[in-house]
Amino acid sequence: MAITQAAPVLAPTTTETALPARRRKKLTPSRLALLALKTLAGAVIVLLALFPLAWMVISGFKLRTEVIRTPFQFFPDVWEVQNYVQILSDPSFVRTLALTGFGAVIFTTGSIVINSMAAYAFARLEFVGKRIVWPLVLMTMFIPGMTILLTSFIVVTKLYMLDTLAVLILPGMATAAHVFFVRQFYLNIPSSLEEAARVDGCGRWGVYFRIFIPLSKAPFVVVGIGSFMAYWNSFVWPVLTITNPDLFQVQQYLANFRGERSSELGLLMAGSALAAAPIIVLFLIFQRQIIANIKMAGLK
Amino acid sequence: MSALREAAAAPDARPVRSSARRRDSLMAYIMLAPVLVLLGTFVVWPAIQAIYLSFFDWSFYTPSQFVGVKNYADVLGDDRFWQAIGRGLVFVVMTVPVSLVLSFLIASLAVSVSRRVSTLLKISIYIPSVISGVIASITFVMIYDYSGGILNALINVVGLPNQAWLGDPRWALGAIALPAVWLGLGISTLIMIAALLDVPQSFYEAAELEGASWWQRTRYITVPQIKNVLLFLLVTGFVASIQQYELPLVMTAGGPQHATELPNLFIFNHFRKDTYVGYSIAAAMLLFAVLGSISSVIFRIVNSEKLVD
Repeated sequence: MAITQAAPVLAPTTTETALPARRRKKLTPSRLALLALKTLAGAVIVLLALFPLAWMVISGFKLRTEVIRTPFQFFPDVWEVQNYVQILSDPSFVRTLALTGFGAVIFTTGSIVINSMAAYAFARLEFVGKRIVWPLVLMTMFIPGMTILLTSFIVVTKLYMLDTLAVLILPGMATAAHVFFVRQFYLNIPSSLEEAARVDGCGRWGVYFRIFIPLSKAPFVVVGIGSFMAYWNSFVWPVLTITNPDLFQVQQYLANFRGERSSELGLLMAGSALAAAPIIVLFLIFQRQIIANIKMAGLK
Repeated sequence: MSALREAAAAPDARPVRSSARRRDSLMAYIMLAPVLVLLGTFVVWPAIQAIYLSFFDWSFYTPSQFVGVKNYADVLGDDRFWQAIGRGLVFVVMTVPVSLVLSFLIASLAVSVSRRVSTLLKISIYIPSVISGVIASITFVMIYDYSGGILNALINVVGLPNQAWLGDPRWALGAIALPAVWLGLGISTLIMIAALLDVPQSFYEAAELEGASWWQRTRYITVPQIKNVLLFLLVTGFVASIQQYELPLVMTAGGPQHATELPNLFIFNHFRKDTYVGYSIAAAMLLFAVLGSISSVIFRIVNSEKLVD
């Protein structure tokens, strides 16, 4: 909106003589107004995007009586760390966090290893049946989640996997989209690099371990974050397959908490903030690679 | 052509090649084994089972019985299924256009400011995308709270009375659309930014010399240039949006009065209540068919418009 109103002033200020001096534009009043509008718009966007999370974190600092109260108050009267301390000293919550983290690490590692191996095979090896196997793998990307959610549940039930860590880790580990993504990256690695290594006596496996893996940091980060997020944030699958409270996953735990102890909202918000924190931290650490990847994934 | 060349090169190359190829095949299948086994067990096999079971009356506790297309007929004859599809389409209309317009505006802003501000914008807009549906639901339920939520506090300021956002069938679906947009905006904005950066700068310079306004530049340069990306976001947005069910599952469980029972939630709830899964699976298959055909219609409409231009 802000842009729509302010932009027309751009046009008259650019003349043909201005070309060499384009880089350092003069700060005319209209430019200043445009800049102010843009800054304002940017600030509003940042605030709105982060507001719900801030609200969650702040509510965690409120006393039970304060979280929901009329008249509405944004900040607590007194900042209490009590909720955060209490939920962190609840053994069931800590165990849930640790267990979910443990599962997520195994899931993520496994996902990077197996999907990248498959990607290498599809990108660089000529093998019997490739023309059949590759489209089949790709096809799995287009199978709707709900259809196989129901029958996957039947399959894992028949495999006696209910209420085990394996049911959380194995089913989602192989992902065609990840194979596709890493393959795309491997296709762009110049084959001259590979040939040079082979001249030096590197076998096929050596090429994979000594050339491809060391070059794979960027796609591994992307696949890794994607897998970690998928595991950490998954809710419906654990709800279907895990009934033993000792094996509850963090999202399931929060949803259950909300159902059973609905009056302790401050505690719930503190728990939610703590459960969201690892993923936000991970994102902030790797934001550069993640954002760059979205550019790459954007259709090209 | 390439076949000819290969044939010419074949005589002396063949022996080496075929043994190398065999070694390659062995290595390839060793490397592919985990992915193929897991995809086969947890994706392909369930998919085949879904097709198979949709023709059977089957439950965990009784032997299955072939019923032909009865499950499909049941679903197609069920008003609640069609209502859920209709609700899904309303939900798409509530979320996808808003997301597209917002992400276009935010992306336009992000490409016109300094690099540092642009990074800040990108990071802030993307952070919600890494939040789980459950945490987003918990947070938004608080925001919508009748007596102490911030939304009612805000509308009180303009003199409107409190609303039961999630309890009132008139508001509930919209109240779910808001966190859906919030969660999904990051990725579409980043894709849009990448698309905008790809538009040749010289087009805009020429337009500026002609004195074109922001609207004219957007209408005649930007939109036609990023048409493919817009189409991509439209279709993926549609597919993602109509399949949404985690938010209503946590926030309202489909209520009040089924007002937030989106198609997948309808199927999921049915699956959990009914031990005979044939109906649920047939409904999921039909949803897939509906979804595929609507996507292809969107594709065709937008593409045909392109031909007219």
